[in-house]
Amino acid sequence: MEMETDALPNGNSQASAGSAASTGTNEGALAIVAVGAVSAAPPSSQMNKLAESLKLEHQFLRVPFEHYKKTIRSNHRIVEKEVSAVISGVGEAADSTDLSHDDAVQHLSSLVSRLQGLKRKLEDGSKTEHLQAQRCKARLDHLESADSENISEWNSTRLKRILVDYMLRMSFYDTASKLAQDSNIQDLVDIEVFSEAKKVIDALQNKEVTPALAWCADNKSRLKKSKSKFEFQLRLQEFIELVRSENNVRAIAYARKYLAPWGATHMKELQRVMATLAFKSNTECPTYKVLFESKQWEYLAEQFKQEFCRLYGMTLEPLLNIYLQAGLSALKTPFCYEDDCTKEDPLSQESFRKLASPLPFSKQHHSKLVCYITKELMDTENPPLVLPNGYVYSTKAIEEMAKKNNGKITCPRTGLVCNYTDLVKAYIS
Amino acid sequence: MELNTIKEAFDRVPKKQKLSSSKSQEIVEQIELEIEQALSRIQSIDDTASQTDHSLILGELKAKLKEITPLSQLEATQKELNVALSKYPKLLEKTFNPDISKAYRNVDFDIHTVNQIIASHFYREGQFDLGDCFVNEAAEPEAQAAKSSFSEMYQILEAMKLRNLEPALKWAACNHEQLKQNGSDIELKLHRLQFVEILQRKGRDEALKYARTFLTPFATSHMAEFQKLMGCLLWAGKLDSSPYSELLSPMHWDKLSEEVTRHFCNLIGQSFESPLSVTIAAGVQGLPTLLKLMNVMTGKKQEWQTMKQLPVPVDLDREFQFHSIFVCPVSRDQASEENPPMLLSCGHVLCKQSITKLSKNNSTRPFKCPYCPSEVEVGQCRQLFF
Repeated sequence: MEMETDALPNGNSQASAGSAASTGTNEGALAIVAVGAVSAAPPSSQMNKLAESLKLEHQFLRVPFEHYKKTIRSNHRIVEKEVSAVISGVGEAADSTDLSHDDAVQHLSSLVSRLQGLKRKLEDGSKTEHLQAQRCKARLDHLESADSENISEWNSTRLKRILVDYMLRMSFYDTASKLAQDSNIQDLVDIEVFSEAKKVIDALQNKEVTPALAWCADNKSRLKKSKSKFEFQLRLQEFIELVRSENNVRAIAYARKYLAPWGATHMKELQRVMATLAFKSNTECPTYKVLFESKQWEYLAEQFKQEFCRLYGMTLEPLLNIYLQAGLSALKTPFCYEDDCTKEDPLSQESFRKLASPLPFSKQHHSKLVCYITKELMDTENPPLVLPNGYVYSTKAIEEMAKKNNGKITCPRTGLVCNYTDLVKAYIS
Repeated sequence: MELNTIKEAFDRVPKKQKLSSSKSQEIVEQIELEIEQALSRIQSIDDTASQTDHSLILGELKAKLKEITPLSQLEATQKELNVALSKYPKLLEKTFNPDISKAYRNVDFDIHTVNQIIASHFYREGQFDLGDCFVNEAAEPEAQAAKSSFSEMYQILEAMKLRNLEPALKWAACNHEQLKQNGSDIELKLHRLQFVEILQRKGRDEALKYARTFLTPFATSHMAEFQKLMGCLLWAGKLDSSPYSELLSPMHWDKLSEEVTRHFCNLIGQSFESPLSVTIAAGVQGLPTLLKLMNVMTGKKQEWQTMKQLPVPVDLDREFQFHSIFVCPVSRDQASEENPPMLLSCGHVLCKQSITKLSKNNSTRPFKCPYCPSEVEVGQCRQLFF
């Protein structure tokens, strides 16, 4: 029983074992044409493929580092702020002329307790920093751990990471944490980073801008660097809300304070929004009507997600979509849409076909022939044999059939019966 | 992957960060000490003393703190840290592909379809709680459709883990006709395993009874196997030292579980591997090629968005090869129904259109095979079906 060589698609280990024995013929095109050579390729090409795929993991290392960096920066800012507050506190006391003795004692004591508070904060801060540094390290270690031995497990973890990324971007936080927990990959996914985003998104969905504005203030310099106008968009929305509630005096005051500074760069949008003062929220004028629609809030939430991803060095699209698209394109052939498409091909399924429909077909420069019976590749080692009716099967499949049936071959697709000796070899170049 | 330089670059960050925090701490403590000293000096002054005394001390304190220059010291420690902080992401950008969405087409993936695929994936992996949680959170109740069939499969597999074949046998009996049609002998394999179990646990008589009911239908079609199993009866109680000991190997259980999974999925119209896993794995292999392509296609973004076929081949591993694709070695065209592959009498294969060209559209005039010295005639070429 166990002598049977299974025609399983995961016969990779067998193939690479075979390649060690056969002297690696690596004669350019020939090696690529002979499909067997793909599986019998030297392990170095497999390693090369692995290395290529690891290069796609920029976000995996970048995001926790940006998070770490942010913590370092904000901790440092706290120190700077507190220290300079204490110093100016001392300065004020020294410069004041009518400070009583008791006042002086009390003033200095409060400064001391302020410093003690700062020390506690520093301690907590360095704990967080340490944890975040550990996380960055864990990711590096995880990347380094990928090798041919554990590749299938590593790949399955990668799929889980990609799925968690999708869940987080779609705001399915429960599924994200459950998946991370069940698979014990908390260090390899960015749930914590996204919890910061969650607050802002939730608020925007409740038509509440304050957390989003706070986030903008927090990341002011970086948003400015990337020329983001997200804060302006938030301000516009707040202005619109004031107009909606017919609070025109406050709306104008608000515009003077928060919209005017953006005038230099975004005059057109500013003028358009200002014009809403002349109309009311129930206007039918399409240019202004749209500004009052509630989908503007959804748009802001989307906008925020984009800004957020950009800030952390994430791709703007979910990783799942990116890999799905690449995979579907690479797998898509006209044969996927035929009735007898094998179930093992993802594109035999309606849902995958639907996703693939706007994507390009793959291209082949060289023939790749799969035996209808064994699903194995037909190459120089297992050459294709032609039945008198033109149907082609692999030598392995035919020989097995001939052995079982006294040299008689039955074509599984047409029912034709013929002799093994009637078959001819086809040379595929 | 060679990550040493990256690791080194990273290690510099926590190192500098620790230096910087201990420096900050030092500064804070120094300030605290100065203030405390001043405080105790003020407190030790007699209440009756004039006001000038404590303002003198405050003045001294101010001068001392100025002397420490805490803010510029803080800034100095931050400088080195900043170098490390900016170096590491730069190195990441250089070593890795900083934007893997470059080859992304701006087509809207239907979210419901994607969610449905994900839910099916969770269910088929046996992660039913997770699937339910997801279906719930994503509000996709239709996506639960896949659950019931996979839960039946996992009941069978779980039972098999506990060495209980009843659910599997029941399933095989229910799907007897279809399994037979697929040319599967899984029913026999299940009965064989059950037979060996009974022989081991309940003895010869029970095993014989089982064989009479369930194995005899296979006697003619699987003669050798049947005889072997009957031979086992002679070794009841000492099967492990018999020529048939191999039948006791736990490997049979693992193999059979996999086979049950395969056939079960097949019967419900599903693949053995999760289609999501397969597609993502193909994507990981294909994406580097696509990204390289995008690098040479800069400025042709528009073209990329509308392209019907990829301009370059994406080399995927053998496991992703689901279809026979014949590429004519002369024209480099992929064979199709209109342009099928043809076998020349010498055994070489070309596409029909290439043959028409080579023969100059003259079906009686022989032409030379481009791959060997043979002269071949169009009339003798046969269409191939892969």
